Amino acid sequence: MTAVALTHRTARFRTARFRTVRALRLEIKHSTAVWVLPILAALFYVNAYRTAAGFPPTWTVRASVITGSNLVFFSVIAAGIAAWVATREDRRKTGDLLATTARAAWARQATVLAATAFWMVLAYLAGVAVLYIQTARQATWGGPPLWPVAVGVVGVAASCAVGFTCGTLLPGRFTAPIVAVAVFAAWFVGAQAANSVNPYQVSNLSSLKGTSALLGPVLGRPAFIDVGVYYHVPPDVSIVQVMFMGGVLLVMAGLLVLLPAARVPGVRGLSFAGRRWLTVVAAAGVACGVAASATAFWMAGTARYSLATGWDIPALHDAADDQPVPYTLDCTGSAFKVCIHPAFAPYLGAMSAALQPAAAEIAGLPGAPVRADMTMGYTSSAAVAGTTSVYDFFTEQEGYGGESFWATPALARTADWEQGWQQDFIIWFVSGPAEQDSPGPTPAQEAVAIALLAKIGAPVPQGYPQFSQPGTQSGASSASSASGGSGTQPGASAGQITAAASGFESLSSAARHAWLAANLAALRSGTITLAQLS
Amino acid sequence: MTAAEVKTPPVPPASSAASASASAARRLAAGARLAWLHLRSRRVPSALLALALCGGALRAVLHWHLVSGGALEQQGPMVIEAGAAVVIAVTTHSPFGEAERAGGRWLPYLRLGAALALTGIAIGALQLGVTGASLPGGILVLARNVIGITGIGLLASLVTGGLLAWIPPLGYLGFAEYALNEAWRNPWTWPVRPPADRGAWICAAGVFAVGLAAVTFRGARTSLADNG
Repeated sequence: MTAVALTHRTARFRTARFRTVRALRLEIKHSTAVWVLPILAALFYVNAYRTAAGFPPTWTVRASVITGSNLVFFSVIAAGIAAWVATREDRRKTGDLLATTARAAWARQATVLAATAFWMVLAYLAGVAVLYIQTARQATWGGPPLWPVAVGVVGVAASCAVGFTCGTLLPGRFTAPIVAVAVFAAWFVGAQAANSVNPYQVSNLSSLKGTSALLGPVLGRPAFIDVGVYYHVPPDVSIVQVMFMGGVLLVMAGLLVLLPAARVPGVRGLSFAGRRWLTVVAAAGVACGVAASATAFWMAGTARYSLATGWDIPALHDAADDQPVPYTLDCTGSAFKVCIHPAFAPYLGAMSAALQPAAAEIAGLPGAPVRADMTMGYTSSAAVAGTTSVYDFFTEQEGYGGESFWATPALARTADWEQGWQQDFIIWFVSGPAEQDSPGPTPAQEAVAIALLAKIGAPVPQGYPQFSQPGTQSGASSASSASGGSGTQPGASAGQITAAASGFESLSSAARHAWLAANLAALRSGTITLAQLS
Repeated sequence: MTAAEVKTPPVPPASSAASASASAARRLAAGARLAWLHLRSRRVPSALLALALCGGALRAVLHWHLVSGGALEQQGPMVIEAGAAVVIAVTTHSPFGEAERAGGRWLPYLRLGAALALTGIAIGALQLGVTGASLPGGILVLARNVIGITGIGLLASLVTGGLLAWIPPLGYLGFAEYALNEAWRNPWTWPVRPPADRGAWICAAGVFAVGLAAVTFRGARTSLADNG
């Protein structure tokens, strides 16, 4: 090859590249996708931003909306608008005119698809940026997870490709809305399947079947609040999701390239008489896409669930992800320390404000805790009061007051939230941890707890069976069930318990303290009756 | 000749009953042809096919429990009802544009009739699809959703043109999904309200009435949707 020929080839390549970039720039500039950006912004605000703002400021929990409802709505609009732009040539009856141009049909269509996908992905990433900036300003631990962003970007691009291919294959005025609605319905079917393997909703985790449904989006909040806090979230599921949707994208792109070959030459688009290599490449792309999606589907079917780290896929799993993430508890207080995981540091003030008065009320009693620690997860096996000097509270704890760390830090500053924790703390101290299968507190334990709570301004726990009906808190009504208690003592009505609690509360602080010091062990064992309180 | 004579057409000579009935038949045939041409120009036959498809899809969703449990049980059918509504909205597009508006005085009636008939057919097709199955809220919620979301689509066609009129209804659907998850109770979030809720019915019917009136008298926009 001579230098002149080489120069000509280089110049031709540069010219072709310039033309492609220019065509892409023109398509981006005039894309219809710009018109749907306000709607996408509104949907993002309602479905993603507001939802995320209602979650606690931990990265993984906030990032869950990216691949949940946000991805669904972006995909729906992306698929619809891509189908719409794909019908442009048919709508404007310019097929014959464009068939005479030098550029191949696939190149023309690829430019239009790329411009549409550009706007959709850009809008999606803008939404992600808003979410992550908001989270960065509030989160106190960890960093932004990037795998969900990759899943979202590939999902939006794949939706564009699906819509565009449908619009190219079946041009018509109903194509775009039907494709959009079909994508919407498909996401919901996927979400339904994903719910069937949601560990939050399945009782027997070891017998989970059909885990291929993990490829679908999980709508709603994540199963556990401390996901990604104590252990890293393995990227396994995200990888297979990217593989699956990337495979769909490849198939659609390959079909778009192959499509003109399937048409009658000369009628619309260009035939592939002189471009066999392109046909081969496109066919290989389709085959690779099918293989990628099928492999992802199969791998998702082999997923296993671990309570600590979540879903892992054996073929992709890295054992390093199973190691706990080191952390140092954030603590406050002197006589009574309240410690919390740094990811939940925004709650430390509210937690301390809740527990300090309750701890002061029982300070000096035998077995009174000197520290409260946040511990991981979904366990209800707290150490029994009296045997430990540490009160453990859990990230997933939902106690008598219905309080939990699913509340935002702003909501945690309310009296209701703090009183809920005070109720949990006092009840744990007086009668042990609240467990669903436990026989429940005795009337005497209830009366003592109510009296101690009243001293710190907390109301009667709604979880007490006698007080669970409206109008029974004052004790004026005695119509509530007389049952309840441990089973070793006769039942008591709400009025009787309230009267005993009032009597106990009216004792001087020293007398109450002395009585508890002397009788706490017997009270916890359930041998103290209501009559013995007064 | 006076002005009155010019404005008032001359009285035809006394005609026989046969010629009158022939004239009426010609008018009827012309009216039917006009209506048929109008419906064809709006791709109503294809819309009917799409509505039947929606009914079938709803049937499949309920029969195979493709979406069940929790909010999804209500969200799935809502998506298909919205699908039927956007099909109606897209039929408002006219391929003739301004030229058609100058063509005669029957156009508003044709638009009104087409939109009303398609809405009724959509409700019927969807109800046919759920026959024998349990639909959350029953036909009342189904009809209210179709009516209300169709109203949004008709209103949107004035701004975006008929071909893009599917976007705002889907946007509203996304909003309604959020309202359903958050258990909002405003009447304008009618998809989440109980079947007999008066406020929700007023809102849905009001949007439909305004959209219908607007499309009847103004027609869908013809410029924006032709771009891009």
